Amino acid sequence: MASVVSSVIPRGQVDLVDFVDWSGVECLNQTTSHPIANALKQGYRDDDGLHLESDADEQLLIYVPFTQVIKLHSAVITGPEEEGPKTVKLFANKEHMGFSNVNDYPPSDSLNLSPDNLKEVPVTLKYVKFQNVRSLTIFIEDNQADGDVTKVQKIALFGTTVDTTNMKDLKKIEEH
Amino acid sequence: MVLEATMICIDNSEWMRNGDYSPSRFQAQADAINLICGAKTQSNPENTVGVLTMAGKGVRVLVTPTSDLGKILACLHGLDFGCEMNLTAGIQVAQLALKHRQNKKQKQRIIVFAGSPITYEKKTLEAIGRKLKKNSVALDVVDFGESDDGKAEKLETLVAAVNNNDNSHIVHVSPGPNALSDVLISTPIFSGDGEGGSGFAAAAAAASAGGVSGFDFGVDPNLDPELALALRISMEEERARQEAAAKKAAEEASKEEKGGEQASSSHDTTMSEAVNTSAVIADDKRQNLTDVEAALLEQALAMSMDGAKSSSVDMIDADMSDATAEDPELAYALKMSVQESAGDSSTHSGMSKVLEDQSFVSSVLNSLPGVDPNDPSLKDFLASLQDQSETQQKRKEDSPEKDGDK
Repeated sequence: MASVVSSVIPRGQVDLVDFVDWSGVECLNQTTSHPIANALKQGYRDDDGLHLESDADEQLLIYVPFTQVIKLHSAVITGPEEEGPKTVKLFANKEHMGFSNVNDYPPSDSLNLSPDNLKEVPVTLKYVKFQNVRSLTIFIEDNQADGDVTKVQKIALFGTTVDTTNMKDLKKIEEH
Repeated sequence: MVLEATMICIDNSEWMRNGDYSPSRFQAQADAINLICGAKTQSNPENTVGVLTMAGKGVRVLVTPTSDLGKILACLHGLDFGCEMNLTAGIQVAQLALKHRQNKKQKQRIIVFAGSPITYEKKTLEAIGRKLKKNSVALDVVDFGESDDGKAEKLETLVAAVNNNDNSHIVHVSPGPNALSDVLISTPIFSGDGEGGSGFAAAAAAASAGGVSGFDFGVDPNLDPELALALRISMEEERARQEAAAKKAAEEASKEEKGGEQASSSHDTTMSEAVNTSAVIADDKRQNLTDVEAALLEQALAMSMDGAKSSSVDMIDADMSDATAEDPELAYALKMSVQESAGDSSTHSGMSKVLEDQSFVSSVLNSLPGVDPNDPSLKDFLASLQDQSETQQKRKEDSPEKDGDK
C-alpha cells in the first residue's frame, strides 16, 4: 500500500512544488497555528502532525503563484476522512480573489473529492484549461462531514513547465 | 511600519451634538481622526487612509483610501449630522472599499467610532466579526458617547470575533475633561500594534495637549531637553537624599526620639543634596540650639550653597562632626553619605567663602551645650574627615577653631 501511495507521479509530469513562488503564497481563513505551509511545502506536507486548518468557518481560499508558466496536469489533495475537503474549485490566473467574488467567475475546474482522493489517489484535471498557468487559486468550499473546520494534510500539484530550458539537461558536446 | 490600508468610519448621527466631550462629541471625533490619519501616513509613507460616514443620508464614502493627508483632512470639513448610525452597513461598505484598494499588499484595517447606542444583537455583530476575520480585516473600535447597558459588551464581542493574533482593539472612552484624542494616543489604536507611531504620538501629545502633558515634569524633552534633564536629576537627588534620610531616621529612632526628619522633606527639591543633608543636621541641632540660632545656621548654609558644591560639602564635614560627637552611629551614616559627595568635589573655588562661613558656624557650634571642640576624639574625627577633602581646608579650619575656643 505504501509503495503505491508514496510516489504517485503521473508519467512525464513533475512535482510543481519547486516552481511555487513562496513569497506570494496566501491563504485566507487559515488558523495561525496551522498555516498553508503545512500543506504545501516539501517536508511539511508529509508530516502527519502538520496540517492546514480553517479558522472562522469551513472555507479556505489559497492563492499559489508560480515562478514560471506551467501546465497543470493533476493534483493530490489529502486530509482526514471527516474534515478533509470535499468541493474544491480551481481558478487559473485569477489574482487576489476574495470569498465574496469567488462565485462570480466560473472555475477552471471543479473537483468533488472522494475518500479515495483523500488517500493520495491523484485527481486528473481538465488539462486543456491549465495550459498557461501563472497562478492558481484553490477554493475549498466545504468538507466531507460538512463541519465547521476543514483540515488539509497535503496539496501536491503535478504538471510540466512551458518554454523553459532546463540548464541541467544540457550536456557538454563530446570532443572527438 | 506595517503597510496598511485603513478605513475610518465616522459616526455623524444626532447623538454627536452632545457636549459631554469638549467641545462637542463630533469635534472631539474629528480631532481624533485627524491625529490618526497623520499617525498612519507618518508611520509608513505607503499607508493609505479612507473615510466614510455611517449616519446622515446614509453610508457614504467621503474619501477612498489615499495617502494624501490634505485630501483626508479637507473632507472632514462641513460634515452634516443626521439620523442614526448604521453600523453593519458601515462596516460592510468599509470592507468593500478596502477590497478595491490599489495596493493589494496592504493589510486591511477598519477603525470605527461608535458614539450612538448599538441596536444590533450580539449574534449579528459576531457574524460580522467572523466575516471580517475570514477576509483578514482587522478592526479597531472606539467606544465613546452613549453608553447604555450592553453597548460595551456588544462591541467587545465584535472585536473578539474579529481578533486574530491581537490585531484588533477596542477602547472605551468615558466623558471627561480629557480630550478624546489624548486618550487615544496612548492606546494600541495609535501605536499600530505596538510598533512605530510612538515618536509621532509623543510629538502630537506635546503639540495638542499644551498644559496637560503626559511627561513627568510638564516639560517635553523634545522641546527643552536641558530643563527636562535638570528636573529629572534634581528629582533623583531628592529621592536619594530621602533614602539617606530614611536610613538615618531608622538609626536615630533606635537611639533617641527625634521628630525632625519630616521637616527636611518640605525643603525645595531644586536645592542640592548637600543642602538637604545639612538641613537634616540643622534639625538635629534644633534640639540643642535655640530656634534663632538654627535659622541663622540654615541661612549660613544656604549662603554657602551659592558657592561651589564642594565647599558646602566640606563645611558639612565640620557641621556633622561637631553635631554627631555624641552619636557615633549617626556620625558613621553621615560620613558615608559625605564620602560619596566628597569624592566628587574637585574644585578649590569659593574657599574664602567657606572659611568665613566655617568660622561663623564653628562659633555658633561652640555655644552648643555638651559639645566640646577641644575633645580629642572630636579633633581626630575632624582630622580624618578633612583628609578626604582638600588639605588646605584642614589647616585653615584648625586655626579658626582654636581661635574660637575662647
